[in-house]
Amino acid sequence: MIVFERRMEANALWTLSSFIMAIVAGLAASAVLIASTGANVPDVFGALLQGSVGSPKALATTLVKATPLILTGLATVIAFRAQIWSIGQEGQVFAGAMGGYLGAQLLAGLPPLLFFPGVLALGMAAGMGLGWIAAVLRNRFAVNEIISTVMLNYLVVYLLSWLLQGGPWGETGGTISYHQSPMLPDTAFLPALFGSSRLHAGVLLPFLAAAICALVMSRTPLGYEIRGLGYNPEALRHKGVDIARTVSVIMMASAALAALAGAIELFGVSHRLRADNLIGLGYAGIIVGMIGGLSR
Amino acid sequence: MSQLFQEAIIISILASTIRIMTPLLFSAMGELITQRAGIWNMGVEGTMLTGAFAAYLVATLTGSLWLAVLAAIVAGALMGLVIAFMTATLRVDHFIAGLGLNLLAGGLTLYWFQSYIQGRAQPIFSGFQDVDIPLLSDIPVIGPVLFSQRALTYVALLVVPVVWFLLYRSRYGLELRCLGENPKALDVKGLSVSARQYLAVMLGSAMTGLGGGFLMLGFSDRFLADFTAGRGWIVIVALIAGNWRPRGVLIAVTAFAFLESLATHLQVVGAQVPHQLLLALPYLASIGLLMGLRFRSGQPARLGIPYARE
Amino acid sequence: MSTALRVEGLTKRFAGVTANDDVDFDLRRGEIHCLFGENGAGKSTLSSCIFGFYRPDKGEILLRDQPVQIASPMDAIRHGIGMVHQHFVLVPEFTVLENIIVGTQRSGWRLNAAEARQKLRGICDGYGIDLDLDAYVWELPVGRQQWVEILKALYLDAQILILDEPTAVLTPGESKVLFDIVRKMCARGMSIILITHKLVEVMQSDRVTVLRKGRVVATLDTPATTPDELARLMVGRDVSFTVTKPELAPGETILAVEGLSARGFWGDAVLKDVSFSVAQHEILGIAGVAGNGQKELFEVLCGVRRPAAGSIRFKGEEVAGMSPRAMMDRGVGHIPDDRFREGLVPEFSVAENVVLGWQRSPKYCNGPLMDREAITGLAREMIGEYQITTRDEHVSAGKLSGGNAQKIIIAREFLHASGLVLANQPTRGLDVGVIEYVQTQLLKKRAEGFAIVLASEELSDLFSLADRIAVMFKGEIMGIVDPRKVTVAEVGVMMAGRRGDIAASKERVSA
Repeated sequence: MIVFERRMEANALWTLSSFIMAIVAGLAASAVLIASTGANVPDVFGALLQGSVGSPKALATTLVKATPLILTGLATVIAFRAQIWSIGQEGQVFAGAMGGYLGAQLLAGLPPLLFFPGVLALGMAAGMGLGWIAAVLRNRFAVNEIISTVMLNYLVVYLLSWLLQGGPWGETGGTISYHQSPMLPDTAFLPALFGSSRLHAGVLLPFLAAAICALVMSRTPLGYEIRGLGYNPEALRHKGVDIARTVSVIMMASAALAALAGAIELFGVSHRLRADNLIGLGYAGIIVGMIGGLSR
Repeated sequence: MSQLFQEAIIISILASTIRIMTPLLFSAMGELITQRAGIWNMGVEGTMLTGAFAAYLVATLTGSLWLAVLAAIVAGALMGLVIAFMTATLRVDHFIAGLGLNLLAGGLTLYWFQSYIQGRAQPIFSGFQDVDIPLLSDIPVIGPVLFSQRALTYVALLVVPVVWFLLYRSRYGLELRCLGENPKALDVKGLSVSARQYLAVMLGSAMTGLGGGFLMLGFSDRFLADFTAGRGWIVIVALIAGNWRPRGVLIAVTAFAFLESLATHLQVVGAQVPHQLLLALPYLASIGLLMGLRFRSGQPARLGIPYARE
Repeated sequence: MSTALRVEGLTKRFAGVTANDDVDFDLRRGEIHCLFGENGAGKSTLSSCIFGFYRPDKGEILLRDQPVQIASPMDAIRHGIGMVHQHFVLVPEFTVLENIIVGTQRSGWRLNAAEARQKLRGICDGYGIDLDLDAYVWELPVGRQQWVEILKALYLDAQILILDEPTAVLTPGESKVLFDIVRKMCARGMSIILITHKLVEVMQSDRVTVLRKGRVVATLDTPATTPDELARLMVGRDVSFTVTKPELAPGETILAVEGLSARGFWGDAVLKDVSFSVAQHEILGIAGVAGNGQKELFEVLCGVRRPAAGSIRFKGEEVAGMSPRAMMDRGVGHIPDDRFREGLVPEFSVAENVVLGWQRSPKYCNGPLMDREAITGLAREMIGEYQITTRDEHVSAGKLSGGNAQKIIIAREFLHASGLVLANQPTRGLDVGVIEYVQTQLLKKRAEGFAIVLASEELSDLFSLADRIAVMFKGEIMGIVDPRKVTVAEVGVMMAGRRGDIAASKERVSA
């Protein structure tokens, strides 16, 4: 009867403009917030720019800081594209660091070419375990994934807290606990890209991950199913797609990406297990994913 | 001797159950109103956090606790306005709207908090004290448990029957439940669906914000990052566990509060359990509870589905 | 006879599509006036304008010769216009009374039902409607739910009542009761606008206005016209109601269903002991009022729903309880009734939808990646072969008309199926031209040696296509009959729950 106009085929121009609009809106909102505290807006933005890309060193720091956010952002995009509202990235980052730390104990002494892939893989596996739990809760027990992943986030945070304080991994000086693990040996530091800069080799991984994600989403049958699941799961179910299995795959893949962020943070930046520098990476990644996810 | 000790512990556990329960009860009844109107608001955590922060800000600025309560209510209603605008007007997916709100609230409160204290030691306030109800508070066991509490606690306990009356015995309640079951039935009578959704969400969120404010004013003296620590999510779980009915939600909230009270007391009596495990108990219990809950007959039929005419 | 309502020069456009073009229409006091036309002819748009759901772009609405502004349903109700929607707008969790009074109380905090109850008693008595006001709506059969809808309008003192496809969900018997009540309303001075595309119903009206492509083609006194004339006016050309179906001897049995049962979400029995078989060159029709287990039957047959008991043998192999994937791989094609929800991903392009379900097939993949060339090539081929009207294969399927969307599904299922096609309501909501096309395609598959299970709510479809008709009522098969040996009325009685023993015995004689 009435042709229902939907914005289905977002063309490139629309995508770009909505992307720019989101950034402008973000900047505008920041400006309002900065102004609300009485600071000078241009000064703050100037400092922001200077501090992020103003010098090679600043640029390196930006890259290092962006690394976990790109990964948790990708984790978000994959899940949200399938209309799976997982916000377990926060806990999965923690799990990734914890799995990586465990790996560093188990694999200590291996040559770097085996050690680093090994510990990163173990970190990712730990995250995937969490993703798998949330998937089972959703598939088998119809537990809403938002709620389950929030609860799992808290559980993981408490687990880490116990491991570092009272548990086996804490660093103790005398009788006080520092709520952190001892330092990893130098051999477990991700190598720097240039000399002694802080730019560790791990910053390359997000770009690789993004390229793989893009290819999978646009060109493979799995990507087709992920997109289809987000649009119309009922039609996919009727046409023979195993929804539960696909959901598990998506949630585990998403979790693996988020966990990789935690593992890279451990071996590339903090070099010891502690909660401070992991907190918020998952939630910030969700915001990154939400903005980036506009470009469907 | 040991019997006396036991009795004191039990009274203390029960009294703190009521204490922990009442802020949650405001928020849960608020979210119940919101969800019965068909809006699945996942932003409870953020709304509570904002309410708590607003209460902290006003309490430390003015020193008036009741003004702070008002601030929490207003802050909650404003968060409700945002949710209503996104879900009823823009028809954004309800989950996305709530998630966005939580992230926004988490960031904003921390930002405002830091720009408020500007590096100095943070100002603190002294919150609500217990109000002993004359005579009743002298009754053994029941007295200290029920009649020696914060003033808002008594209000919170009254909110449950009030919400029940609103939902089931008032004409507004019939319309509100209709929003959750089939909003089109109102639309075809020429009544505005979105106006009613705005009202319901703002009223509900105001109560949710009040819950956050009470948490701050009744049981703390300062603000911290992630102050609400997942209580907003517990509220949502309680709603599902309570099958979207006032009495069921009351029971679920009480059970959660009892569990938390028990955990803190286990710590006090020095049980040989890592305290992190005790802290994690409510979240573990939530997951366990949701796994066992397949019975959702009370869930509004159109919960979480944006309404559009065709 | 005085005029109750008049519409002059009404025009309504949606995003460039003219749904109503300069429509004139008048409704006399005490008459049943039928709005007749195909889907998309503009009947619903016109009634939505009268009821205030849409604002017309041009034109006037006059009540008792006074121009009125109807900006919302609220205005319409105030002017005494009521509407019974095709899809009931009821709250199943509410009682009859609550459904009627929600939103109507103007003052006071407390819910006050006493007055309403009294007024409703009066209305019910007046029309001889026997309805428990305190029953929950979910407890009521569909026919009675419709009474609730009618009571909602009468409670608000409607003088003009719009009935939108009111019999779509009713058995022939329930329809008769409905028309009795409607007649009583007219006798009391009410005026009825009846929207329908069924000729049988049109013939019960006083006057009929035929719409085609948004325009009024004619307004006629019903007694002075014939079904053939109306059909011609509706479509705009002569229509042959019969597709030619060659006589074919059934071949091997393809599908044999024995004692099949299934349960619904709440554990209720939605299919009870269903047995039938279909052979090559055979179309088994499934008749029944919507919601009597047809959908569940198709879901079980295509693997989407698990059976509780019974056996399904496909080409001799037991397949009950197998996944949709397994059924598809064995060659079962399925055309679901809700095409945009179950048959297509509307956001996907035509090309992507043509391979939906077969995206992992080596035919459409090139190593780990999907083979774009192969898929677009196939889509172009299908667009040509099935005459799908679209700009190209990259257009989202959701932007196509219902008929073209259905053709995508048919193309896909016919391409991948071998042996059996399950078609649930394949022609629902389609234009006459497309209906003919779909029917021809089904007959073509029958000639190729497929077995086909075809459910339709239009008995005429089944009588012209099916070799045998199974009639369903409340999840059971009331009997399987030979369409050449029974009348539409006999099948109608079975659809209302009467066992078709006589009819069934007729088939036994023929077999």
